[in-house]
Amino acid sequence: MTGAVPDPPQAAAPGPPLVDFHDVTVAYGRRPVVWNVDFEIDEPCLFGIIGPNGAGKSTLLKAALGLVPTVGGSVRFCGRPLAEVRARVGYVPQRETVDWDFPVNVMDVVLMGTYGRLGWFRRPGQRERQLARESLARVGLADLADRQIGRLSGGQQQRVFLARALAQEADIYLLDEPMAGVDMRSQEGIFRVLAELRAAGRLVIVVHHDLRTAAEWFDRVALIDMRLVATGPTAAVLTPDNLRRTYAGHIEVLEELGRAVAARGRTP
Amino acid sequence: MTGPVVSYNTFVVAVGVAAVGFAAGVVGSLCVLRKRALVGDAAAHATLVGVAGGFLATGRRDLATLLAGALAAAFAGLGAVVLLRRFTRTRDDAAIAIVIGVSFGLGIALVSGIPAWGYADSAGLEQFLLGHTAALTAADAALLAGVACVATVVVAIGLKEATLVAFDAAFAAASGWPVAVIDYLIVALVAVMVVAGLPAVGAVLVTALVVIPPVAARYWTDRVGTMLLLAGLIGLVAALAGVAVSAARPGLATGPLVVLAAAAIFAVSFLAAPGRGWIARRLQERALADAWMQGLVLAACRRTADAADGTFARQAVEAAVAGDRADGRRAAGRAWDGLVRAAALAPVRGAAAAWRLTAAGTALADARRRRLDAWERVIDEDPDGARESLTIDLAAPETAAARAEVGGGP
Repeated sequence: MTGAVPDPPQAAAPGPPLVDFHDVTVAYGRRPVVWNVDFEIDEPCLFGIIGPNGAGKSTLLKAALGLVPTVGGSVRFCGRPLAEVRARVGYVPQRETVDWDFPVNVMDVVLMGTYGRLGWFRRPGQRERQLARESLARVGLADLADRQIGRLSGGQQQRVFLARALAQEADIYLLDEPMAGVDMRSQEGIFRVLAELRAAGRLVIVVHHDLRTAAEWFDRVALIDMRLVATGPTAAVLTPDNLRRTYAGHIEVLEELGRAVAARGRTP
Repeated sequence: MTGPVVSYNTFVVAVGVAAVGFAAGVVGSLCVLRKRALVGDAAAHATLVGVAGGFLATGRRDLATLLAGALAAAFAGLGAVVLLRRFTRTRDDAAIAIVIGVSFGLGIALVSGIPAWGYADSAGLEQFLLGHTAALTAADAALLAGVACVATVVVAIGLKEATLVAFDAAFAAASGWPVAVIDYLIVALVAVMVVAGLPAVGAVLVTALVVIPPVAARYWTDRVGTMLLLAGLIGLVAALAGVAVSAARPGLATGPLVVLAAAAIFAVSFLAAPGRGWIARRLQERALADAWMQGLVLAACRRTADAADGTFARQAVEAAVAGDRADGRRAAGRAWDGLVRAAALAPVRGAAAAWRLTAAGTALADARRRRLDAWERVIDEDPDGARESLTIDLAAPETAAARAEVGGGP
């Protein structure tokens, strides 16, 4: 399932955008969830997809990965459909989507990141185990390799998922709410790993709902509330006006909005 | 009771049925891990239609013909579940229930109607209802064993893929695996094993052979591979036990005996398995509660201690710990006795009803105090992180690792 792997992305390389969301529309029955979302990400960075609960952020990510059918539009990676470049795309699903009582240990889960490159019926060998150990070390869980996954804390579970994505050795990473239900220390650990990926020239796309941290973590963001409200460099996008348009009707967020704007004022 | 010497035929049949029991446990594990335990039931109840249909279509009643019919019907039943779900928007459980009811009704009608319609040589079809191994020939058993071996080998080859899909289908799909195809293969294997189990266990109960051994095996291990192997062995033992008892007592249908044997193994697993078993979990809960209570008692000892000589009375300490809770007094008493056994408390010589903390007791009380203080600090500094690392097992040795975990002790 590897297929031809083109050159890794380079910061200033001309050519197709790394990810191109083209008029993506997703509906559950007649109800639209993602409405004509259209934007491109041209270069490696930490990219946040930000919006209120139920804004369709996760659905947009799943549509990009072909996990939910689109009504219209397409998502291309490096100018190609996903099927041709799967080995270059890593994925971290939401933590709640799996049964953590499943009889596997931490190492087993991280090794699953190598399955895509291994292909049918080939079992992970020395190289894969080494890669998995390194991935675990990068997220700070090197000594938990043998632990059953149900005996991990929420933050540790999330870091196991991140290690599995690292073991995919991808160029483009898609993460679905990796900070949800995770303590501050784990959040910072996860963010540090994501920053390392960016430094290594990878594109990291994170679905995220916390405005407070969004302002300081992401280079670029897309504000989404079913439709695309704005996208671009974080400082230019997280304006009071844009936030009001995104979070209109989400009164509970108003306070957070104030904090986010204040935080933006502190860090230029 | 002196049993007859086991004939060659009985021996071959036992081997065949044991192989089926093993493979059913292995295949069933995948199904249970994928949270599709009911799928086998839908397939099983549909088989009866196929048994009758196979007989009506060919006029033959050799095992291979009837099982081929049963397999076709099992696939048709599973197909019906998929179609019901897709086109009538019936939910999964309801769709399975509909298929079970309708196909079983049809199957019973056919099997009971066939003799009445004047088919000669139709006796024995009803044996597929509850299973009856006495009628199996050595050739039949060899066929079953062959099917079981193939199914086991297929699982062994595709275990990596099946585990990936069962654990995280979304991740599998995102990395390009054909999740639907792998799912269908798992379900097809279950259908095959259900059909192979028919002669021994029967249509009504064969699903138990696919579900109970995996669930029982899960209690003993946290690894997929071990679980599959254990489930296979449990299925094997249950199948053999059923066959043996039914051979020794002619007239007893094999199916119920196999299921009862599997249920007995499940009961033992559920109760006695270390770690996940009910007894082990209750003991651990109780030990934690006792340790916590001992901590409260130690603190109360210091609180109620006489200012001058540091002694205290059992009555006062227990009252302080128990408060006005009815069961508190007994728990406090148990904690007190535990501390006395651990030589943390000792009576003061020469004074009636006066007690003191020993050196060990003082150390224990100090360690508990330090841990609580450390927790307080962590909770103050990092509310989220504290929630992640807090544990209530005060009795655990106060290692450097434990201190680090709660954010650095003294």
